[in-house]
Amino acid sequence: MTHLLSMIVAAPAVAALVIILLPAGALAAIRLTALAGALVSLAGSILAHATYDRAASGLQRVETYPVLPDLGVHLRLAQDGWTGPLLLLTGVIIFAGVVASWHLEKRPKEYFVLLLVLVSGVFGVFVSQDLLIFFLFYELAVLPMYLLIGIWGASHEVPAAGPFAVVWKRFAVGDKQYAAMKLTLMLLVGSAAILVAIFLLYVSSGAKSFDLGYLASVRYDRDVQIVAFPLIWLGFGSLGGVFPFHTWSPDGHASAPTAVSMLHAGVLMKLGAFGVMRVGMVLLPEGTQFWVPVVGTVAAINVLYGAFCAMSQTDLKYIIAYSSVSHMGVIMLGAATLTTAGWNGAIFQMVAHGIMTGLFFALVGLVYERAHTRAIRKMGGFAKVMPGVAAFFTLACLSSLGLPGTAGFVSEFVVFVGAWKSGHFLWTIAGVLGAFVTAIYVLRATRTIFWGDGPNEEFHELSEAKGTEWVALVALGVGIIVLGTWPRLVLDQIDTGSATYLTRALATGAQVR
Amino acid sequence: MNELSTVWVPAAVAALTVLALLVDVMTPPARAGSRPTSHVGWLVAAGLSAILAGTFVWDGAGTAFHGAYRGGAWTTFVQRLALVAGVLGTLGGIDDVQKRMPRRQGEYWMLLLFSLLGMVIVPGARHLLLVVVAFELMSVPLYVLAAYAKNDAPKSLAAEAAAKLYFIGAASTAITMFGLALLTGMAGTASIEKLGTAPLNPLSTLGLLFVLAGLGYKIGMVPFHMWVPDTYQGATTPFVAFLSVAPKVSGMAVLTTIFVVGLGAHRTTWAPPIAMAALLSMTVGNLLALPQTDLRRLLGYSGIAQMGYVLVAFAAGDVFGTAMILFFMTAYLFTNLGTFLIVHVAAEGGEDFSFDALAGLSRRSPGLAAALLCFLLSLAGIPFVVGFWAKLYVFLAAWRAGHAGLVAAAVTLAVIGLFYYLRMLRAAYMVEGDRPPPTPGPGVRLAIGLCLAAVVGFGLWPRPLVDGATRASEDLLGHHVAKVALLAE
Repeated sequence: MTHLLSMIVAAPAVAALVIILLPAGALAAIRLTALAGALVSLAGSILAHATYDRAASGLQRVETYPVLPDLGVHLRLAQDGWTGPLLLLTGVIIFAGVVASWHLEKRPKEYFVLLLVLVSGVFGVFVSQDLLIFFLFYELAVLPMYLLIGIWGASHEVPAAGPFAVVWKRFAVGDKQYAAMKLTLMLLVGSAAILVAIFLLYVSSGAKSFDLGYLASVRYDRDVQIVAFPLIWLGFGSLGGVFPFHTWSPDGHASAPTAVSMLHAGVLMKLGAFGVMRVGMVLLPEGTQFWVPVVGTVAAINVLYGAFCAMSQTDLKYIIAYSSVSHMGVIMLGAATLTTAGWNGAIFQMVAHGIMTGLFFALVGLVYERAHTRAIRKMGGFAKVMPGVAAFFTLACLSSLGLPGTAGFVSEFVVFVGAWKSGHFLWTIAGVLGAFVTAIYVLRATRTIFWGDGPNEEFHELSEAKGTEWVALVALGVGIIVLGTWPRLVLDQIDTGSATYLTRALATGAQVR
Repeated sequence: MNELSTVWVPAAVAALTVLALLVDVMTPPARAGSRPTSHVGWLVAAGLSAILAGTFVWDGAGTAFHGAYRGGAWTTFVQRLALVAGVLGTLGGIDDVQKRMPRRQGEYWMLLLFSLLGMVIVPGARHLLLVVVAFELMSVPLYVLAAYAKNDAPKSLAAEAAAKLYFIGAASTAITMFGLALLTGMAGTASIEKLGTAPLNPLSTLGLLFVLAGLGYKIGMVPFHMWVPDTYQGATTPFVAFLSVAPKVSGMAVLTTIFVVGLGAHRTTWAPPIAMAALLSMTVGNLLALPQTDLRRLLGYSGIAQMGYVLVAFAAGDVFGTAMILFFMTAYLFTNLGTFLIVHVAAEGGEDFSFDALAGLSRRSPGLAAALLCFLLSLAGIPFVVGFWAKLYVFLAAWRAGHAGLVAAAVTLAVIGLFYYLRMLRAAYMVEGDRPPPTPGPGVRLAIGLCLAAVVGFGLWPRPLVDGATRASEDLLGHHVAKVALLAE
């Protein structure tokens, strides 16, 4: 299978094309095509992960096609140690996402087209070895979100606040699509910063190549690195939920339809963190060394600030969205430690948190569809009417607070070990404190919604999850337990990637700890 | 004979004009009550397509008229752009012209062809006199065309649109001529290639700035942009679609030949004002587009911003930069023309060009909405459509030439641009509308389809276009070095 990676990337896009050609009324065909696209990618991802040669490590399954050779742009796909687990995550989430949107009624054709195009972009980012192509796929993953949230999003009031709200009101665009516009514009300001950094690297590298391997081998001037790193950090970081550029995330995730929230919080935010590590830290060792204290401190703020924000929310979806901000902080914290353990933990947390958040949003979607409310104060005792949903929600909560045996424990533990090794005790303390606060708010939410008194009169008729809905829940729930009890399934492979890249990131002479 | 083969494209356009005139005159007027035909329009479109196809067979290299005209890769490339704009503008206008002025169709196409004749001479002109004549041949018919809708409604804005275009156009011509006179006087020659021998003194600097200002009017560069939104709002929309791209391509071609070729030696003098104009155009265009409620005005300001992006590459002033100007103008041509035609189709029947015209387009006409999506993403510079490569190349060219700050500003301002493009998308995709689905005629349909194919096709595979633009630019600047070495400089 020499074209395995291009197949994984292309399958959703091809499915999207087929759906475009199908008549809008052929619902079953549209759903099945979407599912087929997702399944091909998932199967490909499993295969790619399973057959990666760990002993050899490095780049494998390299595919190169010239795009603009004069400029040094090649469509260069390859798999490294980090790729497999992340592909796996994306495959699982898109599969669960398609299944979770199975019964979508509003304009399903356009919905599945956009969803699949977006996923193609995500897969593309993870396998790209060419900086410009990396950026192209990144944009492809970010943009469909505008329409996905704007058209299919929940029509609740999004509180408009901050500088963007001023602009919004000034031009009287209306407030229904506020969240979508805010998300898109904030992320594209980030893209603008990334593009400037790409120019900077490309021109200063002296040769005409966007190849990530080549760009990593160049030693840039210290000044260039110190300028370029924050551009990349904040550019990708705006998608990765880096404080204070995370404000699009709660509004966006709360407004998005279920599968889009799953995909966005589960996979897309990881693209941001992945970009910071893969492009920023690997390419710019001196810039990284210079900025890493700031990156780590901001990440620690993320962990705590996100957790405290989540604690003060009354809307279930906002709680989960803020918990994502908090957990993204753990990823960045791991990255900032510049230790093997920290980086392993960061990538592992991407996978673990992706699956966990995917499960959370799938469950929130289920509950909302039945109860038609997301205000946790109104809910209560739902476990009596939907025990299965309650069980899965509790599982996700336990992973979220890092209970041993779940995926969340492994990643947080490994990250905190890394932080400790790197000598930043304050970061470790902030991380542990964040986990503690997380425990408070997730347990409180679970207790109120599922295990408390009730349910009220109006909720007596609620039904348990059924049919296809179980498929998504089981797939993600099993993922959490498997990763928690058998972390080496992905951790060994992540380790080969971290080892390679960390050597490069610390090429300035420091030792790998 | 040799010279005729060099100037065969202008000659063919002139012949087509005569042919169209003959057909129009020979056709008996439509009887009262019967539906007027649009065969002259189709003839023009077919003829221009044939000439366009011909440019791929005969390249017309060489000089003519004692060096006043020079054919080659550059000339051919710009001529192709003009012809493409002509074909698409004709196709896009056929139905509208037939409906709006059934008895005067011939005149409309004649004026369009006159203008086009100017446009295909402009890129080859190497003598200032020929430049001015060709440029005026291009401009004057446009003034008339802008006024075509003036009897449509009692309060038609067309007269105002045409008057603004005319007065400002005439003034800009005068300013350009004055500047050229100063330069010619200083250089002692009117040949563009020898213009660089003019010594740099206050007079020639003044002349240089005057030329920049005069030509800046034509391309809608800030601070000479005031006519753009008013004219776009007043004239008939299919004509505006043509007006918003074709003269700008020619204006850019003239700016390039005079400044990069003629005055290349004085780059340090003209690059800063152009960089400043670029920054102003991007800022003013993007910011003023934000509060617009009329789609044509919005696209007018967006066009001003787009010209700002091209001027960024212009400030680079080297082979790569010049090639990327061509690339950008090609992308802009297809994208902007397509967008205007969709706005025209969506607002069909009514005079309502507000965002409501687009409301619910994705339900009423999914195909048009999808095309609009591609065009708007291309205008915004989003990957996988041609606009992304255009912006990327232009910015890269400027960055290499040392305008890093300008590029950073451009990238940031482009995000502001995204806001109003997304507003249009929002109207098309998220707002419900209850109008009947638009019923575009075959001409407009074909034009939009061709634009869409180009925008998506070159977006996925920009290489042929990049190679063509680079060859054209090498030809213009006389650098016959290997392309690889050239790009590495």
